Amino acid sequence: MILKLDAVHAYYDKSHILQGISLQVDAGEVVTLLGRNGAGKTTTLKSIVGVVAPRQGQVWFEGDNIAGLPAHKIAARGVCLVPEHRGIFKLLTVEENLTMAARKEAAWQLQDIYQIFPRLKERRKNGGGQLSGGEQQMLAIARALMTHPKVLMLDEPVEGLAPVIVDEIVAQIKLIKATGMSIILVEQNLQVCMQLADRHYIVEQGRIVYSAGNAEFLADDSAKDRYLGVNLAA
Amino acid sequence: MKYFVHFRFTLLAALVTLLLPLLVGSGSLATEVLIFALAALGCNLLLGYTGLLSFGQGIFFGIGSYTTGLALLRLQAPLLPSLLLAMLIGAAVALLVGWFAIRQRGTYFVMLTLAFAQMFYFLAYTMKDLTGGDNGLLDVPRPNLSLFGHTMLATTSPWQYYSFVAIVFVLVFWLLQRVVDSVLGRTLLAVRDNETRAAAVGYDITLLKLTAFVISGAVTGLAGGLHAMMTGVAPLSNIEYHTSEAILIMTVIGGTGNLFASVLGASFYVLIGNWLSTLWPRWLMLLGFLLIGVSLYLHKGLFGVAQALLRKFGVRPAADIADTTSVKEQHP
Amino acid sequence: MSKPTPILSARHVSKRYGKFTAVNDISLDILPGTVHSVIGPNGAGKTTLFHTLTGSTAISAGSILVEGEEVAHLPGYKRVRKGLARSFQITSLFPNLSVRENLRLAAQGTRPLQALNPWRRPERLRAACDSAEQLLVRLNLQAVAERLAAELSHGQQRRLEVGMAMAGQPKVIFLDEPTSGMGIDDIGDMKRLIHSLRDTTTVLLIEHNMDIVMDISDQITVMQQGQILAQGKPAEIRSDERVRRAYLGSMITGGKA
Repeated sequence: MILKLDAVHAYYDKSHILQGISLQVDAGEVVTLLGRNGAGKTTTLKSIVGVVAPRQGQVWFEGDNIAGLPAHKIAARGVCLVPEHRGIFKLLTVEENLTMAARKEAAWQLQDIYQIFPRLKERRKNGGGQLSGGEQQMLAIARALMTHPKVLMLDEPVEGLAPVIVDEIVAQIKLIKATGMSIILVEQNLQVCMQLADRHYIVEQGRIVYSAGNAEFLADDSAKDRYLGVNLAA
Repeated sequence: MKYFVHFRFTLLAALVTLLLPLLVGSGSLATEVLIFALAALGCNLLLGYTGLLSFGQGIFFGIGSYTTGLALLRLQAPLLPSLLLAMLIGAAVALLVGWFAIRQRGTYFVMLTLAFAQMFYFLAYTMKDLTGGDNGLLDVPRPNLSLFGHTMLATTSPWQYYSFVAIVFVLVFWLLQRVVDSVLGRTLLAVRDNETRAAAVGYDITLLKLTAFVISGAVTGLAGGLHAMMTGVAPLSNIEYHTSEAILIMTVIGGTGNLFASVLGASFYVLIGNWLSTLWPRWLMLLGFLLIGVSLYLHKGLFGVAQALLRKFGVRPAADIADTTSVKEQHP
Repeated sequence: MSKPTPILSARHVSKRYGKFTAVNDISLDILPGTVHSVIGPNGAGKTTLFHTLTGSTAISAGSILVEGEEVAHLPGYKRVRKGLARSFQITSLFPNLSVRENLRLAAQGTRPLQALNPWRRPERLRAACDSAEQLLVRLNLQAVAERLAAELSHGQQRRLEVGMAMAGQPKVIFLDEPTSGMGIDDIGDMKRLIHSLRDTTTVLLIEHNMDIVMDISDQITVMQQGQILAQGKPAEIRSDERVRRAYLGSMITGGKA
């Protein structure tokens, strides 16, 4: 078990968004966080990485409680968040974006990145702002990899992208998974989730309301309806 | 008793005008305190009550000086009309400046007021026929207050002029306190607290901000006019950036969100400045420290300090609805 | 039986941000005295639709009719007088003013010209003051009437947020995620409040809490990618296959690798 959340409560000012989140990720697992808008998925990721400090509860990473540590210290330990809307440096070139994040002893070097993301190699001299949405997303993920994370967290990586690009990125995430990376994925696209994940969690109103392995989740239509859709009769 | 509460600050203001002659030796200095108190009131209306940080108050102060100076020199106008004209022109210029500046929010609004301040300074400098340029308007007379040929109040000696200014000051303070306690004043507080919400419940934000600007411009123009008559000069420096800055500093160290606080701030700045500058040429540094102190710790300014002192003596000052920092102090 | 006249009508409403169309040719009729929820997956355009209807943002095309009167050209603050009011998803109150004062200001907003009076004290404008008093009771906030809005608990703040919208006695109230960030108890209070609104006004609601949506809505509009996907009563929507696919499927993105 590489990451564990224990009854985490988080607030935005007074708004009680996370009302006791408990979940865990084992090394090499891909785990998804599903749920409707406003459920608290992004806030969960933010509270892991330290952008939002948990007001209660613990976040265990490799045996240490990192809850309350400043974000840059958590990131330095190997927990990396690729936020929604990417956040790449538009004024820097692709290569500059990547080398900025590079770490000397890291297993992930520029060549490894370019192997997984050949498109980025083609466009390595282009400015970040000149890339398409899909390419920016690839760059964001690639840049995260350059920091040699132990846990990679992706917040809606394929939102708003064309189907053919989605396929490409899903394939790339599979390659990353194959290297043994632990991944937490927040995604509303169920197809993508079911292709990549080992386990699924569903968040509702700041709590985990469902947890299951991929096969079980694939078959469980009523859970999908109840927590993700609109048919609550389930 | 209820009315006493309403009037308590106006009475305090009147008390100040009675105390100043006892504490201050020079009639001019005492008058200067009241004049800048008026200017600080105008600034506080924008800053503390409407949430607008204006670096352009010197514009209205200077314009007021020039207007009264020109009215007295060129038009041979009597006392009151000269001052009323200063208020009118001050209000008109404030409307102009406000109309442009309000189109932006936050930093850009502040920069626009600063830009206008520089622009008007430049205009005053170049329009020599009107303003006297670098020299300013000289030999501005100081007529007595007379009605239908009878002298009501002489203004010749510094202390005589002081009594006239004191009456004007208390009157304007009372009127401003009325405004601040009125529906308009409360609505301005809403604009200060949360513009978006104020618009969402139906208020025309632009109109409200402009109204605040116009009142501020009138009061600051009046202060400028009184200043010209006090010194006998309408100098370029009145419209210079330094005046804007000084007025703003007085307002901030006095404390925003209470009109009487501006009287404290202006009194402090003028009196301490006058006293210290004779002792130590670098007295402004002390002012700088005070400003830092207010920004970091004493958010309620000198008025807050006074309130804290009163509390130590067991007097609980009534909470002012325009207070903004009580919340922050409780929820750091 | 003749169709009742809608209290609010959106006709071919569109909102574009540059090349991106957030709301695409939406036409919608809201019947008086109903609770009408707008739901939809991420990026559907629900909040943008709210913004265009309330005037928080300018409309790109189309018309908005309140009881037959065109209001699309009016800025937000003028629509208040036409009977539209809104609450915000992120609490937006007057933090340094008391709860009572917050409500009084909101009530006064329907007669904003009175608020320009530089002489009259607010207590003299009885209509607004009385509205505020009644609202304090209705919102169950009498105990904290004199407290500053910033000092309230989250649940109280969210109730006040709705109260600010109610204060002007609007014809249509727009509630944007009123239960966001609330605990279970507060959610129950909020549900009852929204339910009680039906008697006096029409409610348009954006909510992600499906329990509430299904429980209190008379009509539900499902949006997807800036357009209306489906519309109908809760029971109809729950069993609508298109809606199910939109929420659970790969509507925008998708595919297998």
